[in-house]
Amino acid sequence: MVAIEQSAPRAPATPPAPPAKPRLVTAPRRRRWGRIHDTRGYRAFQVFNAIGLTLVVIATLVPFVHVVAKSFSSEVAIRTGRVNLLPIGFNVDTYRLVSHDHLFWLNYWNTIKYTSVSTVVALVLTTTYAFVLSKKHLKGRTLLIWVAVFTMFFSGGIIPNFVLISAMGLRNQIWAIALPNAISVFNLLVMKAFFENLPPELEEAAAVDGLNTYGILMRIVLPLSKAVLATMTLFYSVSFWNSWFPAFLYLDHQNLNPVTIYLRNLLVGATGGTNMGGQISDLHISANVQAVAIVLICVPILLVYPFIQRYFVRGVMLGAVKG
Amino acid sequence: MYHSNRRRSLTSVSAGAAVVLALGFASACSSKPDEFKDKRVGAMSNYAVGVDFRATTDQPLHFSMMYNNHPNYPLNEDWLFWSELEKRTNVHLDLVEAPLSDYNQKRTTLINAGQAPQIIPKTYPGQENEYVSSGAILPVSDYVNLMPNYSARVQNWNMQSDLDTLTQADGKYYNLAGMHEEKRTEYSFAVRTDLLTKDGIATPKTLDDFENMLKVLKDKECAGVAGCYPLSDRFNFAPPERPGGNLIRTIAAAFGVRAGWDYNTVSWDFNQKKYVLTAESDAYKQTLQYLNKLVTEGLLDPESFTQQDDQALQKFAQGKSFVISSNIQNVINDYRPNLKNIPGATVGMIPPPTGPMGNVMFGGRLENGIIFNADVKDSPNFVAMMQFVDWLWYSENGQEFAKWGVPGVTYTKDANGKRTLNPDITMLGFNADTATKQLQKDYGFYNGIFVYGGTRDLMHSFYSDEEQAFLDSVKDREVLPVPPPQPFDEDQQDQATQIEVDLTPHVMQESLKFILGSRSFDDWGNFVKELDGLDAQTYLGLVTDAYNAFQQR
Repeated sequence: MVAIEQSAPRAPATPPAPPAKPRLVTAPRRRRWGRIHDTRGYRAFQVFNAIGLTLVVIATLVPFVHVVAKSFSSEVAIRTGRVNLLPIGFNVDTYRLVSHDHLFWLNYWNTIKYTSVSTVVALVLTTTYAFVLSKKHLKGRTLLIWVAVFTMFFSGGIIPNFVLISAMGLRNQIWAIALPNAISVFNLLVMKAFFENLPPELEEAAAVDGLNTYGILMRIVLPLSKAVLATMTLFYSVSFWNSWFPAFLYLDHQNLNPVTIYLRNLLVGATGGTNMGGQISDLHISANVQAVAIVLICVPILLVYPFIQRYFVRGVMLGAVKG
Repeated sequence: MYHSNRRRSLTSVSAGAAVVLALGFASACSSKPDEFKDKRVGAMSNYAVGVDFRATTDQPLHFSMMYNNHPNYPLNEDWLFWSELEKRTNVHLDLVEAPLSDYNQKRTTLINAGQAPQIIPKTYPGQENEYVSSGAILPVSDYVNLMPNYSARVQNWNMQSDLDTLTQADGKYYNLAGMHEEKRTEYSFAVRTDLLTKDGIATPKTLDDFENMLKVLKDKECAGVAGCYPLSDRFNFAPPERPGGNLIRTIAAAFGVRAGWDYNTVSWDFNQKKYVLTAESDAYKQTLQYLNKLVTEGLLDPESFTQQDDQALQKFAQGKSFVISSNIQNVINDYRPNLKNIPGATVGMIPPPTGPMGNVMFGGRLENGIIFNADVKDSPNFVAMMQFVDWLWYSENGQEFAKWGVPGVTYTKDANGKRTLNPDITMLGFNADTATKQLQKDYGFYNGIFVYGGTRDLMHSFYSDEEQAFLDSVKDREVLPVPPPQPFDEDQQDQATQIEVDLTPHVMQESLKFILGSRSFDDWGNFVKELDGLDAQTYLGLVTDAYNAFQQR
């Protein structure tokens, strides 16, 4: 009973600890070193680090700013190559044009639907699988791990997968997108490592207190795992948001497609040689329509980052530090 | 027990014998048994050239079809095309859609997984090869007798030598290709016509004229302009990757060899009447030498083979280049609007320059076509399906419907047969000022899925004056015959594909080195040795064997 009373308050006390940790460790150390003397080597490192990271930031941001600028520019300005980082011939007509495209929004809604459902499915399956794998006393654990790891290196290939999905009657359904990619082995292993690092005493105490395995998972482990869950949510939702191939393969109607296929068709379909030599070579999609579509599709997923980022850093560190 | 069994077996033997006799009698009486006896549900008994197809069933027939969804005119089930098609033919098409960007991959997946729709259009000649050996697609040449319009065109337009190029090793063909009555030249070069006038340059006809034009443009227009080259080209990234696709093709054609976009490991040598390795041929070497000369003299932008289309378009739009690969649509959609910044700038097409081959052009009047799931031949509607395909894709009325739409609704036709688009509808630049609707987007006509080839009259009906003028400029060229067929069997095909994996990229890469001057033509002998080291001669052997085998047959 004593043990339980001790461990019970410890459980909610643990989550605030990790954010405090980096602050305590890194911030004062830097200040203390700064007060004494940074070595020359360290200062040089800091300068190069700052320059290096700035260059990386620029390299990442410039293409994006360029696309945003294009999306607000006039078609002629883009075609004559005058648009760099600022819009030329400013207009929002293209946004108006794209926003009136029924198919775009329909596909957009599909993407939101597919991403949310798939992420939930993926989180549930990955969490439960990882939780099971984290139990070292489980019989057949190695086999279960290998079953997962095996799929990292070998896959049936497109055609057998396609036959399988069709035979299960999943074609043209959301499950064709959500189920085959529900467990990413990489995420599974990260999560397994995270669970393994939770103090076993917590679970033992909970068990003594009368919780069964599901109770332990739901009421003890998951509340302590917000960081890794947030990280997984980010990983999964970004990958589902960006994915197009399963949808392309298993969905046969444009009304079911996610917006990534809409975009891909707009970009690749219009510039590729698929129609080369064909009679209809009127493959003209304005560059600013492409830019607007790219911006509109990127924005929501970009907005997710700032909110999840703090968990993200913590989650990754928690998964990796002990080892 | 014994008796009754014996009696029963006797009875069945005699009944069987009667059936055999009856069948034998029947087949002896009719000269040809009807192999499609159970497959005529919905088919017309009097279907022929000039008869419009309409399924004879009470309810519309359903055929499944793959649909290539074009981003310019995304599929719309409310299109007039669909309702009118069903009204006229009593056929409803169930579509399996794939985006244009990845149509080929979806087709391959569906066919290999054994789940292909019945009708698979938009398949370019040669793309069907990979499906033939699995038996998944229909040897359509066995059934063209069900298609009177198609057969009539093959005969009336002398298409047989073109169709022979589709033949597989089993002597059949699997792709029901689109056919043109008239050979059509699409691509050449667009030039700044205002500068030709200003600098007194006549429209170039030969390769020498072309080079002279570039020289004058360089001297007079490039002076003082940084990064200026008279010719800076595009079309580098259309798969399969053929850098300088149109430029190399056009120049090579003048020397009598197919290269660039048309590159094939072997070419037919018209003089020697045999297949030769394209990259080892003199004509190919001359092509590279000509282009190398242009680069050395600063007439051709070395980036022409590596830059993106956008970069080439920008150089042209900024007045840093004056000649660029093009078809008419590129002129109308890209170059002309982009040149609005330069006052007085005009742009037009020139005919492809001619060279040592003389005033000729390569033949070939086939277009992308239709392949069928092999299962369709077991369908009770098989004959009706073939008649439907024949009407929609190969009859005059069907093609006119697919291209122009419904008389009175989308277009009118006068007593002379001249068709005019309704003023509120635009297509290919027609009615651009008055129209509120677009023929493809709003009505579903002129759809790349249904419109291939056709009669001279139908093709010309949609040409602008400019396109007409361009075609007239190459009208007098003699059309070279199509190279003879050399169908590979399965093993040959495997081996050939294997060899090409290394051979083709090497040819592309080294060709660019020769053009750009980083490899000297003194080294040509070594280049040939390298190709032979990559089994080029083995490939040629395969082609020659296949060619001989076909000739003997």
